[in-house]
Amino acid sequence: MILTVPAATTVVGGHALVAAARAGDRTAFGQLYHQYWRMVHGILLVRVPRNEVDDLAQDVFLSAWRQLHALRDAAAFPGWLARIARNRAHDHHRRSQNSVELSEDLPVEDAPEAEACQALAAIQSLPDAYRETLILRLVEGLTGPEIAARTGLAPGSVRVNLHRGMRLLREKLEGRGAHV
Amino acid sequence: MSNDYWWDRSGQPDPEVERLERVLGRLRSVPPPLDLPEPKVVAMPRRWWALQAVAAGLVLVLTATWVVTRPMKTTWNVSWQRGSPAGRERLAVGEWLETDAASRAQIQVGRIGQVDVAPNTLLRLVAARSTDHRLALRRGEIRARISAPPRLFFVETPSALATDLGCDYTLQVDDNGVGLLHVSHGWVSFELAGRESFVSEGASCVTRPGVGPGTPYYEDASEALRAALTRFDFESGGPAALQVILAESRRRDALTLWHLLARTTDPDRGRVYDRLAALVDVPAGVTREKVVAGDKPTLQLWWDELGLEEGGWWR
Repeated sequence: MILTVPAATTVVGGHALVAAARAGDRTAFGQLYHQYWRMVHGILLVRVPRNEVDDLAQDVFLSAWRQLHALRDAAAFPGWLARIARNRAHDHHRRSQNSVELSEDLPVEDAPEAEACQALAAIQSLPDAYRETLILRLVEGLTGPEIAARTGLAPGSVRVNLHRGMRLLREKLEGRGAHV
Repeated sequence: MSNDYWWDRSGQPDPEVERLERVLGRLRSVPPPLDLPEPKVVAMPRRWWALQAVAAGLVLVLTATWVVTRPMKTTWNVSWQRGSPAGRERLAVGEWLETDAASRAQIQVGRIGQVDVAPNTLLRLVAARSTDHRLALRRGEIRARISAPPRLFFVETPSALATDLGCDYTLQVDDNGVGLLHVSHGWVSFELAGRESFVSEGASCVTRPGVGPGTPYYEDASEALRAALTRFDFESGGPAALQVILAESRRRDALTLWHLLARTTDPDRGRVYDRLAALVDVPAGVTREKVVAGDKPTLQLWWDELGLEEGGWWR
């Protein structure tokens, strides 16, 4: 079955969708897929080469689909899915035979692309606590409240990570003389 | 920078943030169609339906009987990296695997990961189901690298159960049943009879027979803190040991202090609260009175504010 449900912009009916998907409802899982795609994509983009993120993100959702019955609390779905994504990224690194710098995984063909890669590399060099939140905000376009809803993190933690992370990112970019 | 715009895109747009959003937004991706596996459906003539239904029912009954009564035959592959004292290349449920001083082995944990078995280790395969991959480590050392959703891989030790929450970790058990867990990536839950420790990346936790898991600590915590934790957890160190722990704690040691909230009683619990509150923000809804009373929702609320991974999914 190919899922092509239109993308949702907000988390809608989260617990009910998870419960339905756990009971085998593919359409419900399709809605979760679209609601959480950006979160999973962002978590992976922090950690793996960019050209492999989409495939790995699909792996994460397939793994979630197969193991959803093991999730005890539907309300815990966001954190559970985020953990699967982090595990998949870690496993990818472990299995990878060739050591590849994250920011150099794709040939840079134009100036905007180079700018994007430079900014991404700057974020990837920040401490763990800030990288994910910044990428979800700046790359995936999620707001602070949306990041909290999707990851299961407390809004206060997201707010702190965004502000401290942005301060560090600005210092990093200024230090490099980057024009982004 | 406009705080409102940075937080929820309300208020005056911040030019610097807008520029970064524009530059980095190029890296966003649209979700491709997802092909979920589903069972094959084979059309058949109507007249065969009744016969097929009877046959299917019979098969179902026989299969159920076999599943309930069969001995578990599932096995995991074993490869020997040095030596092969037992010569065993497959490990079945109920069987033991032992390495001597000169041998190492690697066990393929179903389809979800690997376990490296160090020399002088003795372990047994307890379960090999898709929802329960379980080893019992009697002594020695293993390194588990699991890539799967949480709570599919378990290791029983003489003094605690290690539950994989998605991770890479090392677990040692000595001849007295004392265990040491070190997590390299992700999280592990260490539990005995309701006493539970959540051990995160870069942290360790000791467990002892008759007590269960101690308080988790980061490997880079001070020597004095770690020694005091040992006294507090396993040697009746009491308030004197706690005093050292509190004095030596950094913000990063909030993981340790949070666990101590559940392992102390007033007035010690109040002292732990005061130290933790001095190191990390106290979220709205968390009060000293509720914490000292041991209110679990309050402790959960504070955990979520520690900047560690959200913990609701593993409980």
